[in-house]
Amino acid sequence: MTDSFIHHPSSYRDPSGFIFSKNGVLYRQVNKVFSQDFDFFVASGCYEKLVKKGLLIRHEVINENLTGDKDWHTTLQPAPIPFISYPYEWSFDMLKDAALLTLDLLKEAMASGMILKDATPYNIQWHDGKLLFIDSLSFEQYDETKPWIAYRQFCECFLAPLLLSHHSKIPLQELLLAYSEGIPLAVTQALLPWKTKFSFHTYLHIHLHAKYSLKKPSATGEKTIFSKRKLLNLITSLEVLIKKIRLPDSKSTWSDYYDEAAQRKDYLVHKEKIIHEWLGKIKPESVADFGANTGEFSKLAAAQNIQVIATDFDAFCINTLYKAIKKNSEKNILPLVLDLSKPSPAIGVNNEERDSFLHRTSVDLALALALVHHLAIGKNIPFGKIAAFFGQVCNYLVIEFVPKTDEKIQFMLRNKEDIYSQYTEENFLAQFQTHFNIQEKIMIAGSERTLYLMKKNER
Amino acid sequence: MLHHLLYIDPGSGSFLVQAITAAVLGIAFFFRNIRLYIKSIFTRTPKKPNDNPPA
Repeated sequence: MTDSFIHHPSSYRDPSGFIFSKNGVLYRQVNKVFSQDFDFFVASGCYEKLVKKGLLIRHEVINENLTGDKDWHTTLQPAPIPFISYPYEWSFDMLKDAALLTLDLLKEAMASGMILKDATPYNIQWHDGKLLFIDSLSFEQYDETKPWIAYRQFCECFLAPLLLSHHSKIPLQELLLAYSEGIPLAVTQALLPWKTKFSFHTYLHIHLHAKYSLKKPSATGEKTIFSKRKLLNLITSLEVLIKKIRLPDSKSTWSDYYDEAAQRKDYLVHKEKIIHEWLGKIKPESVADFGANTGEFSKLAAAQNIQVIATDFDAFCINTLYKAIKKNSEKNILPLVLDLSKPSPAIGVNNEERDSFLHRTSVDLALALALVHHLAIGKNIPFGKIAAFFGQVCNYLVIEFVPKTDEKIQFMLRNKEDIYSQYTEENFLAQFQTHFNIQEKIMIAGSERTLYLMKKNER
Repeated sequence: MLHHLLYIDPGSGSFLVQAITAAVLGIAFFFRNIRLYIKSIFTRTPKKPNDNPPA
């Protein structure tokens, strides 16, 4: 056993405590300065209530100073979250539900004499088929005479991206990559259509808020007198507004993929049969389905009690999948919006606060079904680079090779010059064999496409 | 008196705007509740027979 611990790079803002890992286990230290609030959080029954309602992560109290820190009050060991995702990878409805969860927690906390001292989506993670609040140090004792300190943060982190998507009818989760601490009110106000000034709740929370947020604090430091009733009204107003905003189910390029593919029934049935067999053979515990579309193959794996990360660059598809997961209480799928030509980078202080997608991802099996031609021909990514990506994220790979004669590729090349002389099955195999060895190869019925099962080369 | 760790910036005008917003909402919700109450009088649905507890 070593004595060293690693302070988590994203856990530096709040002096109440911090996240660290020791011997591969993640812990949260509570500092002395926050002891009164944390002890009240537990003693008031607020912690137990929130955990029982499935809103907050459960932790174990480790009564040992693992860091040797003089500010140590107690150590918590939170339940592990298998995969950390970020709001710029979430679909519209997932961010919307995260916003409503934050307001639910705020109300529950207030009922126990506590309040949320921050409101950021980074405090929320997907776990066991639902959103869960993971920061046990976000609760402090409530002073009813004071307004909500995290109100502006809530408006910038949740309300702003949701409203911008709602009014533009475009999924804009990527904006949160640029504005990772929330879209400033002034920016949101400038981007929202003018008519939103006549929308009662939007006017109050964005336009009026933006106007006042530019005001300098008064020199006299006059106090604003607030009340619990007033804060509850504010929460109700935010809830009314958030519940109303929605992203229309637009027909995106690929959202009707399965309907169309269903016309080629033999193809889909055979493909499902092969995947089913290979899943039984490999018995993976974790799967990443890249180019998942609305997740038909993710669901196939999830039904076998496998943890699945389903990704697609089409945010409409992922939103449809998110809604289906919610409706069917599907526990094993995490749906994420991800463009493989630019997977989420590492961002934040020293570029290490939020990890890159590649650094976070390591699965037993990756599925790349009807995907490789979109990357190689749609995005001009050479096979070598695609193979290197999969070589970093998985042990096994199920990949579908689509030949150039396929009607989908012919469609893609209709308005594009065929500069893809390297796009051959031989070159595909040569490049992938630098990272993988081929285990099996099956032609899919009703098509010219081939499914390959590959295993990562032993180093 | 509670001493809080203000580790996020609430925004200089954010406290003031909450006071104004909450006051406006207080009035708006007061009238909304009256409207909903009046509406409920006229739209009260009669009890369905199967809502009654079994005899």
